Amino acid sequence: MGFFDLKGLLSPLTGLQQFGRKPHTLTYTKEAADRYRGLHYNKLDQCIGCGNCSTICMNEAIDMIHIEGIEGSKGDSGLRPRVDNGRCCWCALCVEVCPTGSLNLTKDFIYVTDDADSFLWTPGKSNPDAEEKISFHSDVDTSLSMYQRVPMREMDGMERIESFAEVVLGYNDEEARAEAQRCISCSLCTEVCPDHMHIPEYINAIARGENEEAIRIIYDNNPLPEMCGKVCTRRCEDVCAIAVRGEPVAIRWLKRYATEQAKTADMIKEIVNPKIEEPNGKKVGIIGAGPSGLTAGYYLALRGFDVTIYEAKSHGGGMTFYGIPKYRLPYESINKQVEYLQKIGVKINFNTRVGKDIQFEEIYNQYDAVFIGIGFEKPWTLGMKGEDLNGSMQAVKFLEIINEGGTVDIGKHVVVVGGGNVAIDAARVAKRLGADVDIVYRRRVQDMPADWEEIEGAEDEGVNIIPQGIPIEVLGDKNGKVKAFRYAKAEMVPDPKGGRPRPQQIEGSETDIECSTVIAAIGQEADYSFFPEEIKSKINFERGRFVVNHETKQTDDPKIFAGGDAVNRTADAISAIADGFKAVKGIEKYLLG
Amino acid sequence: MREETTTIYLGPQHPGITGNMMIKLQVKGDTVMKAETHIGYLHRGFEKLMERRNWLQSFTIVCRICVPEPDPNEENYSRAVEEIEGREVPERAKYIRVMVLELARIASYLLWYGGQNGSAGLYTMGQWSVGDRNYILDLFEELTGGRVYHMYIWPGGVRRDLPEGFADKVLKTMDYLEKRLDEYDKLMFENSIFQKRAQGVGIIDPAKAIEWGVVGPPLRGCGIQSDVRKDDPYEVYDKLDFEVPKIEGQSDVWARALVRRFEIRESIKIIRQVIEKMPTGEVYNKVPNPMKWIVPKGDAYVKTESARGEFGYYMVSDGSDKPRRVHVKGPAYVHGISLLENLLVGENIADVSFIMNSLGTCPPEMER
Amino acid sequence: MDNINLEKEQQLADILSSDFTRLDAKVVRERRVEAVLKSNDIIPSVLLFAKDKLGYIHFSHMSCVDWLEEGEFEVIYILWNPEEKINLLIKVRTDRDNATLPNIDYIWRQANTYERELREMYGIEFPGLIAAKEFILEDWQGMPPMRRDFKTKEYVDDHFFHRPGREDAQDVRETIANRSGEEIPEFAKKFSRK
Repeated sequence: MGFFDLKGLLSPLTGLQQFGRKPHTLTYTKEAADRYRGLHYNKLDQCIGCGNCSTICMNEAIDMIHIEGIEGSKGDSGLRPRVDNGRCCWCALCVEVCPTGSLNLTKDFIYVTDDADSFLWTPGKSNPDAEEKISFHSDVDTSLSMYQRVPMREMDGMERIESFAEVVLGYNDEEARAEAQRCISCSLCTEVCPDHMHIPEYINAIARGENEEAIRIIYDNNPLPEMCGKVCTRRCEDVCAIAVRGEPVAIRWLKRYATEQAKTADMIKEIVNPKIEEPNGKKVGIIGAGPSGLTAGYYLALRGFDVTIYEAKSHGGGMTFYGIPKYRLPYESINKQVEYLQKIGVKINFNTRVGKDIQFEEIYNQYDAVFIGIGFEKPWTLGMKGEDLNGSMQAVKFLEIINEGGTVDIGKHVVVVGGGNVAIDAARVAKRLGADVDIVYRRRVQDMPADWEEIEGAEDEGVNIIPQGIPIEVLGDKNGKVKAFRYAKAEMVPDPKGGRPRPQQIEGSETDIECSTVIAAIGQEADYSFFPEEIKSKINFERGRFVVNHETKQTDDPKIFAGGDAVNRTADAISAIADGFKAVKGIEKYLLG
Repeated sequence: MREETTTIYLGPQHPGITGNMMIKLQVKGDTVMKAETHIGYLHRGFEKLMERRNWLQSFTIVCRICVPEPDPNEENYSRAVEEIEGREVPERAKYIRVMVLELARIASYLLWYGGQNGSAGLYTMGQWSVGDRNYILDLFEELTGGRVYHMYIWPGGVRRDLPEGFADKVLKTMDYLEKRLDEYDKLMFENSIFQKRAQGVGIIDPAKAIEWGVVGPPLRGCGIQSDVRKDDPYEVYDKLDFEVPKIEGQSDVWARALVRRFEIRESIKIIRQVIEKMPTGEVYNKVPNPMKWIVPKGDAYVKTESARGEFGYYMVSDGSDKPRRVHVKGPAYVHGISLLENLLVGENIADVSFIMNSLGTCPPEMER
Repeated sequence: MDNINLEKEQQLADILSSDFTRLDAKVVRERRVEAVLKSNDIIPSVLLFAKDKLGYIHFSHMSCVDWLEEGEFEVIYILWNPEEKINLLIKVRTDRDNATLPNIDYIWRQANTYERELREMYGIEFPGLIAAKEFILEDWQGMPPMRRDFKTKEYVDDHFFHRPGREDAQDVRETIANRSGEEIPEFAKKFSRK
């Protein structure tokens, strides 16, 4: 190549042809792509304030703040994210981890201000109209939230009706850690737990493989966690942030896993190793060794009170022992925990019915405070014809006899009336006794108050559910024995008051089911016959329940505290435990100031 | 000619590089007698930052190590985590990764066209190539949601599948680019000004190149066919047909330019194959909840062929939710310091930026 | 893939193990061999042997990991053999206090840069290293910042101010606990979300 390299001089000149081309012109502002990661937008009404966006933000650009007009409620912290756009790097991890999908990025990318502090930007409030500009978003497939639960291993449906062996087999270490990892530790669940258990903390401990720490955290405010881990009504799972778009974290099964790691009462004592305070000289009497009584007893004992529990039956646990079938909650689970409480120093007098073996006045006078934790033993009846026939019974009674090891002759075909957990329990027990079982319920299956897992379990075991069936009559034979059950079909009509649809009987739709036994499971009430009129008249009752101070569980008689089914309408164990826990503080305040 | 030397501080802002870096030159006349690289102008402490961010949070940091071509960092980070964890990556994600990496290589080379010519005073070429690079950024925007920082390749796969019709758009852009490359040739490689500036300047001793730690286009410019994609294949490069250039020449700036000229066409070839062979299926093997994601104890050394050469990551996990150590070694760590300091001696001041550009000097990857 | 042939990798590990008694070599995976040195004195001789006799002429990387809890630094030399296509990772450990390692920049000149960085960022001394003291940092007085006991967050809080206007931020966990009256015991708080 010489100095006069003609090609080398001329070739570049071909670039001049560029002048003849149509220029590529963009209009200002260019519309961003469909996935563009621009300014945030938050659907404020879908956001539940879990704060996961704030946690993942590696620039600490997201704060959770209170916004006027948005108040917290169950399943919503009431807080909403605010982004410091001066820190944000638009990585969109906040979008990826948002369990509800409320937080998104938009196509907006131009934001000009001369006020440095207006870089603080509350998505959704600062740009209320940006919903249509949403670009980068997450759906169930792309989100980093783990929406699928680690499945719980269970005994096969047909195998389990052969015995009363526990149906749920429990998580192993690996499964528990995997399930615990799904939790985003937002703590929305703790608010709806009547007992406000420290759920995110113990789940996190499980996720890290520190099971003993998890047990200690659990025992901080619940002395019967193994029972809760098996049969809790788990309202926590209803508000789980993950449940908005997926399956809630199996909080109950994780608690079950953790507590099962302590296999004996001694092991519990060794792991929990609670600090027991010096005796303070005060004595507290407790009536009923159900969940509320046991809880009150345990925490009172830890605080140095001398505690004695009077229990009419031969075992502790109350309705959880006598009402819940053993395939859900084995004897050992309860006995182990009751034994642990006794080791801590709680005295329990079994087989001592107040009003019969000991008078209430005696307890009232002997102790500095009395806690009443009696359950609802007296079942309601259907109030229909034929209910007194031989072979017609109430579910609570039926379950109690079976749980005590007794036998009931139910024949070949059983009809259970009701849609709650007790009804399902009775049906599944009857199935295990070898009968064919129909459940008749007034409304639709989705309206059943029973736990959906229980309903599924019953169906797996071959229980037949007849929804929209209104009980009419129990028919008997000439010997006064149950022969058939008559019910009418119902159609669902909208409630004029806007409530859930109501069943309305369809004329002429009466159907008879031939059966040997009818079991009613429509509710129970307490038996207050032991209560002397004199004290009873001083205390306010409402619909068969004590009226108590919400925080202290104190009744109108300052010396008497009450909790459990006899106080709250939710009628579940965890509420009873919460009552017991609160009553401890009330009693402490009352006696020690 | 006066005998004493003068000290010139070149930088920290100047056309030879993307980023800030200063070279202290001792010159006699206009000949460089001694060169010293001074860095520290954009140290953001990424490696340190990652010590207190969890495994997923850290992924958003690494792309910032290189502006023109962030993807090899994401690739390295992800692959190292996957190697320590033993995490499988779906086949489709591997193909998408290769496509992204090659698109990034093309974008990076187009930017290099601009820098290399700009530092020689040939600005038209730079306007063209940077303009055409925008078409690739448009593709990135559509695919990843970001034009520059893609944050797309992450542990377990890629963040999102291709949008509808994306492959066709890529192919169309490739067809367009291919035509443009011929025009580039006329403007640049057939231009006697560029030829005269590039030939015989910045010569690396081929016999010493490997030992000196030279990698990437500068090494291939020495006639050594070394490419991580062939030597230590990752993703699906071993299933693709492409060539590593064999450049016979002087291992000067010109040779390095030829390497890039050749490779940008190979990349187009690779992208076409990837789109043709890409299987259907998942693109992401989900990691656990990022707040509780623990990577087992272990370490990994992974490398990726970036547009500037071998990009290595040495990563260590101590079995916790955060990386113990992420050590980033970009090619410029050697090219911009020990190689450049030696190479500049005896060169003309006017060629300093020109040579720096031919090596792909990139300060952010020296400082991390 | 199970059918990967690791023969040449194993060969390398065997050669290294048999030539140096204070060295444990093992195959990590295809193209990766790891050698752990039990003595720092042999670093130069192992590196020279690898370079001159085994063909590991390319010096890829040199890194350091601070094992604060164990009181040691781990330094890793990564070499590459362009013929065999194998990366050899050579790992050594040194005490964190007065950490000193032999200088190797006469074997590979670019090692000078790495050593300069490790000196500045970790405080590891390389006797005989000739290079400007300052590399990335300027006028740095404190602890070498890549050491794990250097507290990034505290440093930032001490040296910079936080922009006002964000004080109304609330913690979700606290908000909910306050609302429901939950008392989180101290020992459980380490499991709370940060």
